[in-house]
Amino acid sequence: MLNLENICFKYSNQTVAAQDISLTIAAGEFVAIAGRNGSGKTTLTKLIMSLLKPTSGSITFRGENTKKFSPADMARYVGYVFQNPDRQIFRDTVALEVAYGPEQLGFSPAKLTLAVEKALQVTGLEAVAGAYPRALSKGQKQKVAIASALAMEPEILILDEPTSGQDSQSGSGLMELLAGLNAGGCTVLLVTHNMELLAKYASRTIIMDQGTKAYDGSTRELFSQARDIAKWGLREPATTAISRALTEYGIQVTEDPRYLAKCLVDLIGGARHA
Amino acid sequence: MRKLAPLTKLILTITVTIWAFIMNDNIALAGIVALLAGTAAVSGLSQKQYKAMLSLAAFAAILVAFQYAFGSGVQLSLAAGFRMLIMTYLFFLLLATTRIQDLTAALVVHCRVPYDYAFMLTASLRFIPDLLAEIKAVQEAQACRGYSNKGNIIDRIVSYLSIVQPLVLRSISRSETMAMSLELRGFGNQAGRTFAAELTLSAKDYVTVGLIAAGTVVILSR
Amino acid sequence: MTAIEFKRFSFAYRGKGNVLQDIELTVPQGNFTVISGPCGAGKTTLCMAINGLVPHYFGGSVAGEVQVAGCNTLKRKVSDLALQVGSVMEDYESQLVAMTAADEIAFGLENRGIAKPEIKIRTEQALSLVGLSGKESSEVGSLSGGQKQRLAIAAVLATEADILVLDEPASALDPEGAEELYALLHSLNREKGLTIVVVEHDLSRVLPYIDQLVIMDGGCIVKAGGLEETLSQIYSDGKFINYVPAIYQLKFSHEKMLASRLPDWRTEREALADLSRLLVLKQLEDPKSA
Repeated sequence: MLNLENICFKYSNQTVAAQDISLTIAAGEFVAIAGRNGSGKTTLTKLIMSLLKPTSGSITFRGENTKKFSPADMARYVGYVFQNPDRQIFRDTVALEVAYGPEQLGFSPAKLTLAVEKALQVTGLEAVAGAYPRALSKGQKQKVAIASALAMEPEILILDEPTSGQDSQSGSGLMELLAGLNAGGCTVLLVTHNMELLAKYASRTIIMDQGTKAYDGSTRELFSQARDIAKWGLREPATTAISRALTEYGIQVTEDPRYLAKCLVDLIGGARHA
Repeated sequence: MRKLAPLTKLILTITVTIWAFIMNDNIALAGIVALLAGTAAVSGLSQKQYKAMLSLAAFAAILVAFQYAFGSGVQLSLAAGFRMLIMTYLFFLLLATTRIQDLTAALVVHCRVPYDYAFMLTASLRFIPDLLAEIKAVQEAQACRGYSNKGNIIDRIVSYLSIVQPLVLRSISRSETMAMSLELRGFGNQAGRTFAAELTLSAKDYVTVGLIAAGTVVILSR
Repeated sequence: MTAIEFKRFSFAYRGKGNVLQDIELTVPQGNFTVISGPCGAGKTTLCMAINGLVPHYFGGSVAGEVQVAGCNTLKRKVSDLALQVGSVMEDYESQLVAMTAADEIAFGLENRGIAKPEIKIRTEQALSLVGLSGKESSEVGSLSGGQKQRLAIAAVLATEADILVLDEPASALDPEGAEELYALLHSLNREKGLTIVVVEHDLSRVLPYIDQLVIMDGGCIVKAGGLEETLSQIYSDGKFINYVPAIYQLKFSHEKMLASRLPDWRTEREALADLSRLLVLKQLEDPKSA
């Protein structure tokens, strides 16, 4: 569906933010894009959204080159949720806020109402539809931003660090929401460096390092081998490290701590401490 | 020029501006412009800054042309152009060769400007790059929601609200954080304030001021 | 010696309900205390009660008291308290007021009338402590997020405060950056004896350093105490189970099922080592179970 071929991008001050990137995103995937700050992961998503234009290479969406598209044009197909919802929220109620995007896209009044209702329902914001958005908690504001993107009925959802600065409860809630959307057919591109969430929810991981694609493949495989992801500025989640160590004993396990614990218990049983 | 104390540069800027308005001799005015350009040349400014100075010169030339076209006569038009150029070059050189904190410090210590006002200068300059980055970020976010700068002027203004409102709200919250930070760092207590800036006057400064004083006398006596 | 003490402290912002309810908390000198809890629990307000902005800057109504280094915060000016309590706020970018790094550090010192040569010395020292040596004339606007944060910390260190309060300092940092930041705070804590109070959501980041863990919810302290006891309480409670780092969730469920204690792990490496050891023991006991 989305194809990047030999994408290069240089900022006006000559810093190279993307070097020869090629990748394909198929419909319905849940892809995590990870890497240290400054590695080019946000640049990549901005290139996809046409917020930035590649200095060379081409991006095609369903076969059409996106060179001439503006971000507003891409908004018909791709919803981009920024890290800081305060930078976009400006209306007096949540419902009105969520309606902004579809309004800009020219939805008919009937379609608009339906789209907004659906978005609010999916994100669990019906109860606060009439609330003043700026008074909400960070997690809820992020949901408002997501609902605002969903109301535009995108096929791809790009999110830039949606769980940063949130407590674990709202973070998990958000991820479950994304998993649900993905199950319903929405392609999700998630920029994150929360490795635990990445391990749990993303089936595919792309790792950026200094503007190049350092890894592109299954998340399972990334963690099942003892790769030195520290050189990419990342840290392996505890559960995958332990799962991998267990694999060395010939045991295949999941990364969920609850099952991991049971597995360990079964293995260790009544072993006494030395 | 860099090596002069901020106070000297302030005195220089103001005095020479006054000269420019007292003097009527175009040759002398041209001379001052040449002197300022020469000072800029040896002051080690950046490419961008030299380009800016050239643009200012071009602008002054346009001004002269306009004045002449509106019937002001050659002498007056030229004088207007020179004066504009002198003023802009002076302030440009002042700001390009002096650190803002030094200027602020000089204003407070030597000119007895209350610190709060002088600080406003630094604070606003400090936030300009942040504000510009913020504007860009808000524009990007709204563009991804379909915002585009199209339509007639009324439409554009109304839709620009989606950029302005989050900006204003963000700025308010940032200034609150800044106010708290200032409070924590003892901003209110200005009586015993010291300055880390270099304000001492050296021989160069006294010589310069002396020259300026002499120059003023010469000009006034003409 | 107690650095900070909350004695039945309650606070309400003007015209609103209580944001802090009957807070009782002691932070001994040299302690590394981590505060966690959901949004709106009152963690930021708690931080501001330590540096005095609550109530002096905000107004509102107070009950009980907060003692910092033995003195009641109500009786001291915010700028005086700031000599002992250095604060790095969540929006650290907006906290920076000057154009260059050196000016930023000098700002607080200038306001207190400290002499120029002294300012220069302290600036150099502070920058070197946070790893920004030589960046005196760098413009604040050109620094990266992580560097700005370290600059904010340097500015606080230069005032020679012995209590550091940081509100979600790692939220915008990548894992590497967060690691470096907390390692820095840890060294300041151990080598310089600074008392550190940090608000952090991701406890796995601070696991190696926690002396005292405080969980807040709805303006109250729900649990407070040493690492292991607090985590095990949260784990059994269930409500905040998401806050318990993965290796501790493993540990507790293991302990529950086997009714045997595992050591208090501080890092994943320790956890891994112990678990591997147990597996090896098991294999030696019963080779057929692998």
